Amino acid sequence: MNKTLTNILSTQHFGKPVYSASLAVFRMVFGLMLLFSTIRFWAKGWIEELYINPKFFFSYYGFEWVKPLGDYTYILFIICGLSALLFALGLFYRIASVVLFLSFTYIELMDKTNYLNHYYFVTLVLFLMIWLPANANLSLDNLRKPNLSKRFVPLWTVGSIRLMMGTVYVFAGLAKLNSDWLVEAMPLRLWLPANNDMPVIGPLFNHTWVAYFFSWFGAAYDLTIAFFLLNKKTRPYAYATVVIFHLMTALLFPIGVFPYVMMVSALVFFDTKDVDKVLQKIKTVFRALPVNTVYNHYTFAPVQQRVVSTLFVVFFVIQFAMPWRYLLNKEELFWTEEGFRFSWRVMLVEKMGYAQFVVKDGVTGERIAVNNNEFLTRNQERMMAIQPDFILQYAHHLRDYYQQQGMEQPQVYATVYVAMNGRRSRLYADTTVDLAKQTDTWKHKNWILAFNDNIYGL
Amino acid sequence: MKKWYLTAAILMMVSTTISISCKKNKNSPSDNGMDRKPMLENYANNYIVPAYADMVQQLSILKTSVEAFAANPDATTQGAAQTAWRSAYITWQKVDLLEFGPAFDKSLRTYMNIYPVTVSKVEGNISSGSYDLETFGSKDAQGFPALDYLLNGTVLDKYTTDPQAANRKQYLVAVASKMLQKVTEVRDEWDSYKNTFISSTATDAGSSLSQMANNYVLYYERYFRGGKIGLPVGAMSGVAKVDLTEAYYTQDLTKELAITALNSVINFYSGKSYDGTSTGECMKSYLAAIGTKDDNGTLMADLITQEMNEALSGIQNLNGTLQDNIQNNRTAVLNTYEQIQEVVPLLKVDMVSAFSISITYTDNDGD
Repeated sequence: MNKTLTNILSTQHFGKPVYSASLAVFRMVFGLMLLFSTIRFWAKGWIEELYINPKFFFSYYGFEWVKPLGDYTYILFIICGLSALLFALGLFYRIASVVLFLSFTYIELMDKTNYLNHYYFVTLVLFLMIWLPANANLSLDNLRKPNLSKRFVPLWTVGSIRLMMGTVYVFAGLAKLNSDWLVEAMPLRLWLPANNDMPVIGPLFNHTWVAYFFSWFGAAYDLTIAFFLLNKKTRPYAYATVVIFHLMTALLFPIGVFPYVMMVSALVFFDTKDVDKVLQKIKTVFRALPVNTVYNHYTFAPVQQRVVSTLFVVFFVIQFAMPWRYLLNKEELFWTEEGFRFSWRVMLVEKMGYAQFVVKDGVTGERIAVNNNEFLTRNQERMMAIQPDFILQYAHHLRDYYQQQGMEQPQVYATVYVAMNGRRSRLYADTTVDLAKQTDTWKHKNWILAFNDNIYGL
Repeated sequence: MKKWYLTAAILMMVSTTISISCKKNKNSPSDNGMDRKPMLENYANNYIVPAYADMVQQLSILKTSVEAFAANPDATTQGAAQTAWRSAYITWQKVDLLEFGPAFDKSLRTYMNIYPVTVSKVEGNISSGSYDLETFGSKDAQGFPALDYLLNGTVLDKYTTDPQAANRKQYLVAVASKMLQKVTEVRDEWDSYKNTFISSTATDAGSSLSQMANNYVLYYERYFRGGKIGLPVGAMSGVAKVDLTEAYYTQDLTKELAITALNSVINFYSGKSYDGTSTGECMKSYLAAIGTKDDNGTLMADLITQEMNEALSGIQNLNGTLQDNIQNNRTAVLNTYEQIQEVVPLLKVDMVSAFSISITYTDNDGD
């Protein structure tokens, strides 16, 4: 294992020196993007709305201890924003990257209601960045400690970021290879007409064939774009497609900064030599810029290299395995969502639900109909009503709440209806099951009612 | 590989050309029923504006007759006021579901129809002679329910020989005037809001369709299903409470109000004009154009009408007053409630999902 690794990482293979400019530019734009995203989040009042106002938060399995910090949550966002700035500037990079990774991840873990695939992507990239010499160029650290400045870094450093991007795209593409997406053009068939009032292209969305075209194009794009970006000949066209594609999605769907994150991240695919050339040119104008002009190499210490590379191999093995974990359950993935998250299933399903809870006093038999808005925000309610782990967590919260109110044996029953990809809504959970007694595990939840339909494909 | 991109680019160009040519051909109905503007126009022009006009007229008549009763309280003037109240209350059932736009901004419903009326609050206001009907705290001491108590649940003596008769008459007129004032304000606002409403054709949270559909569904679920049937019959709590019924002091009217309300819900969904003489583009036709179907191939658009009509006949088939049925025929009312309930997921989940709008007021990113 060690020998093979050393061999693969030699200067002939993954260790081949490439210009550090790519990694440095990526660091800078990615950091600025996160800084902007943090400011935007604050400016929209979302910190208060999503992390301070709610009375209850949905935790991730195993991360129940991660909670919003009340008014201190603002400080958490300040830390996140400041570390993003330091990260972008390349100042105290190592500390900044660790703090940024931790604060960003903490924010994401506070309430899974707000799970977004691109936040997860950011978390993963930040994790990788901690270990990479991304401050070797174009960083204030270079002014502080000039011997940190290196013109070349091993290929696998930039390569791992490219691989991460490629993983996202390919798995997002694979997830689209199902009968709903390709044969029924769902959910785009519902989503596109909703934009038919857009100027010029709007009327197009009234036609079913357009939904088919977008579905097939989208799947083909996701599956292939990383390879076209890797290929020198196709790269310019591919990057233009990236920009057009993501601008289109930004126009059509409320997906926030995600399209821009992908657009700037895809820059990492450009030839490191070209990026270096650009930096050299800028340097001729802005002489003070900490751009490395000499020929020197960043080298990992052997132990360090072994640790980081092993870590990355494990990391990517996990990444490649995660999207397939749904195969462990026989039930329809889109219906149960067991194994749906962390798998690059992006904008894939139109799903809406409605959940009415009743708490029954096990001693007196008295029934109380729960008004979800007393416990959850509209957004939390919306997410809860379509995802079983949310339903269960909420049911347990209701059980604990009514127990505190003096009810001795609260039983929690739910009537949940879910409609998916244009199908008629159907009952989602067994209404006779006392959810207070069910536990959340990684196994299939037997109280989820059958989907009674088939979606073929991955 | 270049070819592949070329193909994609050509397809893009072809599609753009088609879209532009579609736009030029305004004569042919190229929108296949999916354009939202005609729907919003139909709602604004043919239902909402006439509805508020009618409501204002009804409330003017009510105010005049209440004033006549206050000026000269006898059985005749009282009877006239009761009749006007009855007629206006029935009309309100056609307007209540329009709580979006100006009505939402003004919280119109809280001035019109929060029940049950809190009698102690009404009596307190009368005896003290000082109250502010504008405040939120007065919502259960005014509107139709307060008038119901004052006109139908109070003996005539209270307006003639009672020491507080003057105060009572004053309060009665004040309540009627407040209702007229509020509806008039909403009607006037619609004059200018109408264009905003029609031109807001998007589907985001602030769009007309989203606000209208959200408040329509909310009305159906909370104020129709819950308020008129569910709470009084104790569908959730298991305990029937007749005193929660609408028009509690005029029990022969309660069922008619519920029937009128559900009829309005059906008519509004199906795009009927306010006077019922014509039909236009509507949520039903829009849903039909999107074309979602159930497992048997029935259009969801039709299924919703079907289920609503079943709920309607459920109420119509209850003999006698609703209060009587709640007390002596509770199972039948609970069955009717179940029929009404079956429509809720169809509206709240199926329709809203097909419209690509959402039942959330939190404007957050999705993915």
